[in-house]
Amino acid sequence: MAWRSIMGKKGRSVLTMLGIIIGIAAVMTIVSAMNGYTVKTMEQYAAMGSNKISVEIYSWMYDEDGNSIGRDYFPDLYDYCNSLKEYVVGVTPEAYCGATVVYGTKSSANMQYNWDENGNLTGDVPPSVYYVSDQYSACSNLTLEKGRDLTRLDMERYNQVCVLGAQAARTFFGSANPVGKTMQFNGQSFDVVGVYAPRLTGENADNSRIDNFIVLPYTASRVLGGETPTSFIVKAKDGDALVEATSRIGGFLKGLVDTSTGGYNVWSDEQWQQSMNEQMGMISLVLGGIAAISLLVGGIGIMNIMLVTVTERTREIGIRRAIGAQRSSIVAQFLIEAAMLCGIGGVVGIGLGTVGSYIVGRLMFQMTIYPAPWITACAFSLSVALGIIFGIYPAAKAAKLQPVEALRAE
Amino acid sequence: MAHLIELKDVYKIYGEGLESEVRALDGVSLSIDQGEFVAVVGQSGSGKSTMMNVLGCLDIPTRGDYWLNGTDVRELTDKELSRIRNREIGFIFQQYNLIQSLTVLENVELPLIYQGINADDRYDMALEALERVGLAGRVKHKPTEMSGGQQQRVAIARAIATKPHIIMADEPTGALDSHTGREVLSFLQQLNKEGTTVILITHDNGIAATARHLVRLQDGKIVENHGQEVDWL
Repeated sequence: MAWRSIMGKKGRSVLTMLGIIIGIAAVMTIVSAMNGYTVKTMEQYAAMGSNKISVEIYSWMYDEDGNSIGRDYFPDLYDYCNSLKEYVVGVTPEAYCGATVVYGTKSSANMQYNWDENGNLTGDVPPSVYYVSDQYSACSNLTLEKGRDLTRLDMERYNQVCVLGAQAARTFFGSANPVGKTMQFNGQSFDVVGVYAPRLTGENADNSRIDNFIVLPYTASRVLGGETPTSFIVKAKDGDALVEATSRIGGFLKGLVDTSTGGYNVWSDEQWQQSMNEQMGMISLVLGGIAAISLLVGGIGIMNIMLVTVTERTREIGIRRAIGAQRSSIVAQFLIEAAMLCGIGGVVGIGLGTVGSYIVGRLMFQMTIYPAPWITACAFSLSVALGIIFGIYPAAKAAKLQPVEALRAE
Repeated sequence: MAHLIELKDVYKIYGEGLESEVRALDGVSLSIDQGEFVAVVGQSGSGKSTMMNVLGCLDIPTRGDYWLNGTDVRELTDKELSRIRNREIGFIFQQYNLIQSLTVLENVELPLIYQGINADDRYDMALEALERVGLAGRVKHKPTEMSGGQQQRVAIARAIATKPHIIMADEPTGALDSHTGREVLSFLQQLNKEGTTVILITHDNGIAATARHLVRLQDGKIVENHGQEVDWL
């Protein structure tokens, strides 16, 4: 009956639902995009390995080109961390190298991010090139698949060698064995000495491309250019070691870094994760709040149209009351109609929100994001609840009418 | 023996105490027994419809007592009044008062829905009522697709679908031509013969003459209230 009443006034129903549709779609898009981003980031983070300590040592001294000219603290940090063997698994710089990578006809200069119609990354994606130490694999949960890893000697002797992540190996060498081949980094020759095994498999791996990287001994920056590394990753054995190592490294740096020309930060990834969660939570809350306002406006629209409907159907209410409808039946009739109106709007809004979060995920985060089932369920319940909340007043107004007065209405 | 309906000194006053005060019912006392055929007549504005609204539990008197079947109606809650309207009384209005968006069958089923009767029984009962008024073949039509006489027959079917003890008809023939009007009237008489109490409101003295119990209202007061000899059609 409610269905027929909605269908009887299609144009009006659609316009009324529009508010709910837009509101639900906005909330869905925002919440699921944020949620999806957080989940995927955490997933990658977990694949990189937990129990990590980030160390940052920076200088306030700059040369005339604006480049930081701090001294290289890494050898000291490296030796200190290696003296903490009971807590620390490894330590490595974490610095990007912007070099163009070339092998044969393949050049990273010609690669870019491309997505297919499903939002999955396709084709060759330029690999990230990092300056690292020989302990990078220990810090990043990497195991060797072919050849050998970087060694301390590679750093000390400025060897021009590199090790490839699984996806980078596939990009440049396909199924061929890269070990022993020579690649060009900004025109400089580097020998491939090893390939790491993939950390993620399946669609997530394709889209996150966390194995799409190449590592060079950090001392290669002497030939390839770049600043002295300032960010370092220390991997602790476990949660307890993490706490102990964090405080010990902090103490070590306090005595090492000249605070008149620079400074340092030491923090563990638990702290980082927590602050990231808090930040994402705040952003979701603010954006969700804005979307909730549009839902409120939509709800008021529903209330308005239901009030009009009650006025229009006063006589019908009178007839129903005369033949025995109780107040509760009248209330139920209008509540069901409002809830159904909002429910249909909610379903359409969920559809749009799904498309919206997919688009937002691709444009903003380069990820395939579909709303989690709980978000869909919440969005639907929310829209029906809105219908009931904003339907109560008109329904109560309809039920309050005296039968004889309602019958007199034209 | 207690009367089926008993009004005692009933007033319905609009805007009481104001200069514009209107006394639609001005001290009405009336009793009606089970199985009677009562015609309530009077000029327009004499209070006929107000009396029917009070009798039909659609309106609450300003003052006075109303016993229906021994129950003091003024003591009843809205829920109990709804129940009485649903089960004890069948209404027939001058304007038919069908719900235009529902089909003929759905209109007749409506009071049965409010009784909580299941769909199968409801369909049977509604169809039976529609058969009695000769409209069983048009159940899928909308009221707007029918003539006035047919719509009034649908309204009658709706009124009798619940098999009420009392039928209240407010000028049921007012909007119909004389031939269809006579059909409606004889149908009411038929129902009365079967034991249903019929209260018929009309301003047509010819119709009133066919009722065994005549009540004449004027300015909210009963000026005539007696039984009369009639020739049944």
